[in-house]
Amino acid sequence: MHFVIRTFEIVLPVLYFATVWVYGKAFFSADVPSTRARDKVLSATIITHLVYVVLRTVFLEHFPITSFYEILSLIALTVSLVYSAIELRTGNRETGYFILMLPLFFQVISTVFIKDYLEVPPELRGMLLGFHVSSALFGYAAITISAVYGLLYLMLYHDLKSTQFGVIYKRLPNLETLEKMSITATLIGTVLLTVAITLGLVWLPLAIESFSYADPKLFGTISVWVVYVFGLVARQAAGWKGRKMMLVTIAGFVIAVVSIAVTAILPFGFHKFGT
Amino acid sequence: MTAQGLSLNLTGINHRTAPLDVRESMWFSAEELSGALRRIMETRAAECLLISTCNRTELYYVPRSPVVGDQGPIRDVLSSLKNHPSPPPEEHFYNLAGLQPVKHLFKVVSGLDSMVLGDVQITAQVKDAYAAALDCGATGTLTNRLFTAAMHVGKRVRTETQINEGAISVSYLAAELATKIFADLSKRTALLIGIGETGKLAARHLASRNLGNMVIANRTLSVAEKIAPLFGARTVPFEAMGAEIANADIIITAVQSSSPILTREHVAAAMKQRGSRPLILIDLGVPRNIDPAIGGMDSVFLHDIDSLNRIIDNNLSRRRGEVPKAQKIVLEELNEFSRWTRSMELGPTFQDLRERFEAIRELELGRVRHRFAEKDREELDIVTKRIVNKLLHMPMANLRNGHGEREFEDTRRKISFIRHIFGLDRDDPS
Repeated sequence: MHFVIRTFEIVLPVLYFATVWVYGKAFFSADVPSTRARDKVLSATIITHLVYVVLRTVFLEHFPITSFYEILSLIALTVSLVYSAIELRTGNRETGYFILMLPLFFQVISTVFIKDYLEVPPELRGMLLGFHVSSALFGYAAITISAVYGLLYLMLYHDLKSTQFGVIYKRLPNLETLEKMSITATLIGTVLLTVAITLGLVWLPLAIESFSYADPKLFGTISVWVVYVFGLVARQAAGWKGRKMMLVTIAGFVIAVVSIAVTAILPFGFHKFGT
Repeated sequence: MTAQGLSLNLTGINHRTAPLDVRESMWFSAEELSGALRRIMETRAAECLLISTCNRTELYYVPRSPVVGDQGPIRDVLSSLKNHPSPPPEEHFYNLAGLQPVKHLFKVVSGLDSMVLGDVQITAQVKDAYAAALDCGATGTLTNRLFTAAMHVGKRVRTETQINEGAISVSYLAAELATKIFADLSKRTALLIGIGETGKLAARHLASRNLGNMVIANRTLSVAEKIAPLFGARTVPFEAMGAEIANADIIITAVQSSSPILTREHVAAAMKQRGSRPLILIDLGVPRNIDPAIGGMDSVFLHDIDSLNRIIDNNLSRRRGEVPKAQKIVLEELNEFSRWTRSMELGPTFQDLRERFEAIRELELGRVRHRFAEKDREELDIVTKRIVNKLLHMPMANLRNGHGEREFEDTRRKISFIRHIFGLDRDDPS
């Protein structure tokens, strides 16, 4: 079984690379076979990743949330899933190249550093923890996508301001659509982070002895949540739209990345479960 | 399609061969088209297709009997259909035959022969021409296949190349910029300040993209009132345009003015009311109508005539870069068409040749069959059939091979030669 899991871990980055390559070829050179194949390649990658998560859960007898690198792989999967849902909903496949580079990056790091922990603390087998982690992961995936759309918005905004109309101008959807996609992802991300934080604050103090309100990840997640809530409120109350709002989504994402990185480096905090 | 093969001819004029006045004189309206097709079918053609646009009038036809050399009479027929006392000079016309008309039509529907490279509006006009020919019963095996193949070529070129991408007129680009910012123009308002020709064209392009509202402000209000109904627009006096700026999402200016008519103060005041809602400003005036400093404001997209022309130049050079790809598709599809025509031409000749050999075999076998024992006759039959098949195999295979324009002409010559040396057009097998 270990061999099978290891094989999946090698195949996944290859599949993500193939997906990004096909989306990139369709985007930059309007290659017809790539254009036709890209959503199918993405589906194959997501299915393979889902199978990997199931196999890993069955083999190790716990949901793969016990280490930073397991979580990184799950973020890769959730970003792909959320992007796939957006693609299905909007019918727009031109932004995939930019979004799917992130899962590729996350999965490569995960594959290189991941370890299998057969023994994990009992609280990591709880159902509520599963909900807490799932909502946090999907929330982070949504804000990641929101930030990528924000970045694409700024790139197209720059092209439209200048007269250098290249492939970004030609292939990307219009500014309004990009903004709508980013705001939708922000809304979903904020709601999911609200759920994750609420569940965490209610349940974790009861389940984990070492729980502390001074935990760096708790602090980081709440900071990210505050930035997004602030942005959404400013949008409603003060009419923050367009470029200003896109900068907020990118700022929130940067804080999220910094918070995750700092949490991984710091030696303390109860969000460390690997044994 | 006759046993003699593909006899497609083309007589036409276009923007490369004839000036506008000559093209105008040879232009057939939709109403004139069916009458013209009927007349041509009565006198000259077995099948025909007449494409007439502002840039070209082309008659694709299969003559009632093959014509070689000068196509003058058809040129005269076209002129007489337009009631010209004398036809336009011969040098304005081109005459193509064989596979050349096919290649020409493929280039036309690809936008390779358009006045503006990559302009594929012609596809719709070819479809209309075909529909008219179909209505008149002027189409046949060849023209039906030609039309289907041409539409396929057009589609391939549009999807596999970027020859028609990127605006190449200022007016179109102005409308395209709007669609790159706003998702739904039906909820947007455009303000047209001054009415130049380019401004009017831009207004037309915006209206065709389902623009919600249009407001026209012009120094001479009566002129604005005259054109406003064309775009479903309302008019305001020139002096009142300031009040419209905050409501407008797209502003196109084209007025003669020595100083800017839209200043930073105007737009800053409007943007305060608009929040972060984007505003597109297209300045078609020379000297410029809009203060260039406005371009630095947040959510304001300002383009003047120079920046628009720069974008158009880039788009045109990108289109030129796509020409080899489009030409490759045209040649691939021409070879495919050539294969089809050859199969249509070779089929009857192969059949006749086989029948002729079979007849000779039967005749000669009949003369000697009685000399063989009953048990040997069946074997004799098989052996002679095998000899005939082997004799026919090589020439048939060689005729089937090869493609392209030269091979097409060669095939026709070979078919004619084979029919002659084997006497396929005579009844007597001996």
